[in-house]
Amino acid sequence: MTVSHLVIPGAAVPTTPAATPSSDLEAVLSSIDTMAAQEPTAAQIVSMVDSDDTDARTLARILTSDVALAGRVMKLANSAYFGMRGRVTSLQVAVTVVGFPTVRTMATVALSGLDDESRLPEGFWTMSTTVALAAATLAPRFGQRPQDALCLGLLAPLGVALLHHGDREGYAELAAAEPTAAGRRAAEVRRYGIHAFRLTAVALEQWGFPSSMVTPLGAVDDHGSQDGALLRAALEVATRLTVEDHVPVPVEELTGGQLGEDAVVAVLDRVRAEADELRVAMLGE
Amino acid sequence: MSATTATAEPLVPAEIVSSVFYGAAVSDGLVLLVAEVVDGTPRIVWGNEGATQLLGYGTDDLRWLPVASLVPSLRGAETGLLLRRERSARMNLSVRTASGALVGVLVLCTPTPGGRTWTLQVVPADSGSERVLRATADAHERRLASLAERSPVPTLLSEQGMRLAHVNDAFCSLVGLQAEQLLGTGWMATVHPEDLDAVIEQVVAVLGGHDGETRARLVRADGTERTTVIRLSQLFTPGVGAGFVGTIEDITDRLAFEARLEHQTHHDPLTGLPNRTLLAERVAERFRPGAGGLAVISLDLDDLTVVNESLGHAAGDELLVEVATRLRATVRPGDLVARPGGDGFVVVCADLDADAAVALAERIGAALAQPVRLGGVDVRPHASIGVTVQTAAHGTAEELVRDGDIAVCQAKAGGKGRITLLDQSARAEARDKLRLVAELREAIERREITLLYQPIFRADDRVPVAVESLARWHHPQRGPISPAVFVALAEEGGLIGALGLLVLDETCRQLAEWDRVLGDAAPQRANVNVSALQLDDRLHGSVVAALDRHGLDPARLQIEITESALMEDPASARAVLVQLRDLGVSLAIDDFGTGYSSLSYLRHLPVDVLKVDRSFVAELADGHTEIAAAVIALARSLGLTTVAEGVETEEQAAQLAELGAGFLQGFALARPMTGSRAAAWYATHAR
Repeated sequence: MTVSHLVIPGAAVPTTPAATPSSDLEAVLSSIDTMAAQEPTAAQIVSMVDSDDTDARTLARILTSDVALAGRVMKLANSAYFGMRGRVTSLQVAVTVVGFPTVRTMATVALSGLDDESRLPEGFWTMSTTVALAAATLAPRFGQRPQDALCLGLLAPLGVALLHHGDREGYAELAAAEPTAAGRRAAEVRRYGIHAFRLTAVALEQWGFPSSMVTPLGAVDDHGSQDGALLRAALEVATRLTVEDHVPVPVEELTGGQLGEDAVVAVLDRVRAEADELRVAMLGE
Repeated sequence: MSATTATAEPLVPAEIVSSVFYGAAVSDGLVLLVAEVVDGTPRIVWGNEGATQLLGYGTDDLRWLPVASLVPSLRGAETGLLLRRERSARMNLSVRTASGALVGVLVLCTPTPGGRTWTLQVVPADSGSERVLRATADAHERRLASLAERSPVPTLLSEQGMRLAHVNDAFCSLVGLQAEQLLGTGWMATVHPEDLDAVIEQVVAVLGGHDGETRARLVRADGTERTTVIRLSQLFTPGVGAGFVGTIEDITDRLAFEARLEHQTHHDPLTGLPNRTLLAERVAERFRPGAGGLAVISLDLDDLTVVNESLGHAAGDELLVEVATRLRATVRPGDLVARPGGDGFVVVCADLDADAAVALAERIGAALAQPVRLGGVDVRPHASIGVTVQTAAHGTAEELVRDGDIAVCQAKAGGKGRITLLDQSARAEARDKLRLVAELREAIERREITLLYQPIFRADDRVPVAVESLARWHHPQRGPISPAVFVALAEEGGLIGALGLLVLDETCRQLAEWDRVLGDAAPQRANVNVSALQLDDRLHGSVVAALDRHGLDPARLQIEITESALMEDPASARAVLVQLRDLGVSLAIDDFGTGYSSLSYLRHLPVDVLKVDRSFVAELADGHTEIAAAVIALARSLGLTTVAEGVETEEQAAQLAELGAGFLQGFALARPMTGSRAAAWYATHAR
């Protein structure tokens, strides 16, 4: 082995200021870090890596120091989605019912300010809960865990909130001009250098979420990749349910043939029925 | 929230910086790159040995390589996500090697304080503990799912809360639905709404770490119900949470079988009506002490025996079924009709006073009196009906039902086809009798029935030859109870067997004791009275056992049986007497002349003695010697001896001896005595 031709870093290389990323993006990325300080309990839960060591008792103990978040977990555990019909009275059981990844997802929601609808684009939660339920419902067809899919769906639009937060008017204009999901992503890349889902992926990766959550977000536009297929299908289902004049995109196309239209039709009603309750449970109202 | 911006450490000596740098530069286990913005484009400006090995570039080729071409998945401005100015970043990315291949790596990127240069540490993605864990958990779940899939036991696997991830075919066929309809919370619709809460309670317990079990009805797609036992255990997935495994046991058929058995033990198989046990239970359920309002109408069919004997038992059964049908049709909805047994029926009604109960009884009587065709014959069934209405005096449900029995007995006593409202004095009497029977039972159990012994003398020389055992009951509150009363009570109350055994055993014991105390002076024989109800196959065995127990010869015992007892069923009585006679026990007919003996039959009975009833002895005082003389003469002509009972005066004794009576017994000669007094008496008389 030789050590010749070494170049000392930072020396003798001509440099110019970076053309990209935009300063807006830098601010958005920085804001991800400052959020943690404001929501310490949520931050602690988010940082707990999902491992063998995670247990319901510890999670419940930590949760008790954030009454609002604990209340939402209880509410979600007792929601129709989990079928427990108000019988869950202990936080530990509630944590078990909703599952650790979901608790973590809810903590992420609190951490990133997604629980404050006044700071979000209109219809944000209707969209995200619909995506989440569509993903959870369709997950078994993709060999994935419904719980993971639910979390992925809930957090996927996080990037939208982050972009909107840093550029409220600009983002609203962009959204109005681009009704289709793909078109909007392209516009986001043009304006911010990154699209919202990619931004979500960056944030989740930063917070130590597993690659099973991060990868599909990055692969959402890559129609050749199966990693993003479930999320694409869920987005399509949610768009059909929430956007009035949406022209349906065949799900066979979106999923590389993994899913047929009949499967989508079968889940539409159930997703619509459960989405509102999930939204209420997530927001605690 | 792990990453923080690295800060320079200016105080580290130059030799150490140089040493660390050298180590990093030549390391092939560590992949390090340094990037810098050159002409507006982030480019690699340095790579260590590990980097050249991983990426396949020569050191020179690596230099000035745009970061974007190394990480093609970061398009456009996205390189900014990695090359942050104020903080480090970590990303899972694919890097393109010199050969064009993509290698999955984790990139940790740290900006230098100036924000113009970044150090990138590249860690090749290995199998990754997360992936291994996930794969292990998935494999575990798949194994469990496939195990459940093949199981014939209906099985549920929940992923979270009540949400099912898997159901097996056995469960699908149990409820008659497709798996797709049951996954998630769909299966909850199959649980009977009244049982769902209990199931959820158990799931809560299981998710809290306990095992759970509950009974729940499942409603099938066709609307039918299956009763099941659902057993639950926790199913923990590391890093995810817990669901449950539920196995379902369909107990519908078992319950139905048990219900059938239960029905059979509580219902009359012929009419399907509740039997005595269930009647007692049902009345107890409705009975409120002091509340009043319950009425019991007891019926006894008057004609059943006649129908059975003339038209056969099938016709009798048909009659019972018809009566049951008419009763059910006549009573009000909610009234209870039961058949406690035999030819009796009971109707129990709530909120009915005496008048209304009697009115209902009359309707029942009228309904029953309609002709029924049995075996080609029209029969008009009649019933004796007793009506009882609950009063404050009824402390328990049993007392009320018992009063129903008393009422029907009263009705029967008044003649067939009558309706009687229970008479209070009759009830008091009947109750008193019941209490006395219970007390007699206790007295027998505690051997509080004592025996007195009255000597029997040879008539010619007045030598005592035997004693008669006489049972006595001294009631703790009522004082002495006449044997006529308590023997009859024992016969009615089913206690005669126990009483008889007590008398037999105690007499034998006393004989044996006298033998020990008195030797040859002891009474040679004791007479024991036996009731008609004791005249069965068991008597012989009881006598043998008592004699054996006390080591006595059978000749020491004489059994006295009343004339009327013998004549109830002469044939079987004779068989029992023959057995006893063969044993060596002598036999006497008690109270002779008071019954209606067939003299020809008497001739064939294996008896030794006739006892002349005390009523005929008493007549002697009035100058009426005819019957006593006739009995004594009859006995003599049949080769039997006589014992005259109730001899109260010396004149009677002399007269009877003159008439030829063999033996005498009575107050004039000796009163009944206790065993010890008798011993003293015999000791004196032997001298």
